[in-house]
Amino acid sequence: MELFSYSLRKLATGIPLIIGVTLVSFLLMVYFGPDKTFELVGKNPTQEQIDEIRAQLGYDQPMVVRYLDYLREIVTLDFGNSESTGERINALLARTIPVSIAVALPGFILGNLLGVGLGLLAAFYRGRWPDKMIMGSAAIGMSISFLIVIIAFQIILSSSYGLNLFPVRGWSVDSFGDYVSYVTVPTLATVFVALGYNTRFYRSVIVEETTRDHVRTARAFGVPSLQLYCKLILKNCLIPIITRIMFSIPFVVISGSLLIESYFGIPGIGKVTYDAIITGDQPILKAVVALTAIMLVVVQLLTDIMYRWVDPRVSLK
Amino acid sequence: MNAAAEELDPVGLSDAAPESLWTKGLYKFRRDRVGMWSFAVVLLYVGIALGVWLGFWATGWADLAGGKWEPVSGAHWFGTNIIGQDIFDRAIYSTKTSFEVGLVVAVLATALGAILGAIAGFFSGSWLDELILWLMGVLDSIPFLLFVAAIAYTLQSIPEISKYSMHIAMIVTFWITAGRLVRGEVIKLKEMEYVDAAHALGVPEYTIIFRHILPNTAHILLVQATITFVAAIKSEVILSFLGLGVKDSMSWGLMISESSQEVLAGFFNNFLAASVLLFGLVMAFNLFSDALQDALDPRTVAD
Repeated sequence: MELFSYSLRKLATGIPLIIGVTLVSFLLMVYFGPDKTFELVGKNPTQEQIDEIRAQLGYDQPMVVRYLDYLREIVTLDFGNSESTGERINALLARTIPVSIAVALPGFILGNLLGVGLGLLAAFYRGRWPDKMIMGSAAIGMSISFLIVIIAFQIILSSSYGLNLFPVRGWSVDSFGDYVSYVTVPTLATVFVALGYNTRFYRSVIVEETTRDHVRTARAFGVPSLQLYCKLILKNCLIPIITRIMFSIPFVVISGSLLIESYFGIPGIGKVTYDAIITGDQPILKAVVALTAIMLVVVQLLTDIMYRWVDPRVSLK
Repeated sequence: MNAAAEELDPVGLSDAAPESLWTKGLYKFRRDRVGMWSFAVVLLYVGIALGVWLGFWATGWADLAGGKWEPVSGAHWFGTNIIGQDIFDRAIYSTKTSFEVGLVVAVLATALGAILGAIAGFFSGSWLDELILWLMGVLDSIPFLLFVAAIAYTLQSIPEISKYSMHIAMIVTFWITAGRLVRGEVIKLKEMEYVDAAHALGVPEYTIIFRHILPNTAHILLVQATITFVAAIKSEVILSFLGLGVKDSMSWGLMISESSQEVLAGFFNNFLAASVLLFGLVMAFNLFSDALQDALDPRTVAD
């Protein structure tokens, strides 16, 4: 019950955020955005035709009414139809979000697991050569642009100038084998890019934890290193680790893999968003922005609950 | 009164105090071999960019100087691209573009973050602080690429500004990290005795914030500016690739965008030239930024 009322209160405090995000995006993208009237009317339109289209797009309404309309769409979770294809946006999202998750999930999990692992290893050998090697590679990994990684991996793994093991681009998945063959190159590229940042972050969190008094005491009492790192240190590092992972989820699901998807031609939400940006398909952009904001609020709530679960001293208030 | 306030103000570090943060930082930085080398590489890039800016070299980046996809030769050091432009010139010219984007965004975003962060921190708990925090949360929550596109849409009707929509979008989103850091630091600093003293002497609030407190966060701002510089350069490449970035000019992102079709046909010069130069600059700047942080941030525990 305490949890329930806490959740309600927390969600209520998320409302200003959602209003802010939607208002800013609405003003920039829709209100001050491109006028779509003349893309939709035919050649040599009469004034009536123009007025009709403007009414259909809602341009004749004052700004407040149009924004409230947007809020109503968010509350009812009904974002209307895409302007370029006419598809219902809810159907579009239901079709593309699972693809995006399927593409992003392996890389996301591997990137974080390997990051924690390497961070632990570097912290364990702090100041000695394994640490220096890991951190040096992390610095190099952080300096290579995502774009370069994608193209280089494509040349090396998928083109006839390299190993030619995987399809160059596209997404026609019917079986698990197909899935593996299409998802490998994007996954490797994501892991490669994320690993440098993750390792650095996790190492600094872990190193900070190893300098605490209770760790020194445990070491003085002869607690074996493995136990020390896994039980005492890693457990105490969980809060920053959870925070980092949870808060990247909305961007990974909704828009994070935009570059990967548009480059490899994968029909996920990132590709749809990119196409919507290029064609100015406002209903899709409005839906994506609103969903990101809502997910962030939900993720914030879940993160708080997880804190409590990881560290009972944290109180929900 | 002013002189008395000046005396209480430990910001006048420059003239006295051999043991100030900055002299200690400089001493530490000079001993950091990686830091010094990376700084030298950064200076080399600065020299290249300045040379382009002054018109010493790479003036022919847009000329059709040769045939399609010519290999590396004495006349064209990195070969030519699909319409016969010299890739070496284009890659060198792009250095200037990168510095333009990086410097503009780093300086303005850090300045904005410093001002808003200092105000939020000084008035922490008030409505002004809440407002600025809300703004940070909101801008943080809009997917970056969508935000760039949105700014570009808005500015479409104003052609003189619209080619800077990428810069504006980056400044408006990148100030937040600096703002948060400064806010935290100012909340700590405003409890110090010299601020109390300034209050007691009747120094106006904005003078306390911007003359007495903010200069004491300069080391954080400097490090943050270098981090923002790298972030801006890397974003520029991706945005230009996606068609949302640099227009009417040349950049490494546009070169990579050009090359993304060529590499599948087996022509790598464009891709390699842009990638290697980009990697060199980002790597050097990252290492420089790390060394700077080690030298200036008394709290770092990293190594």
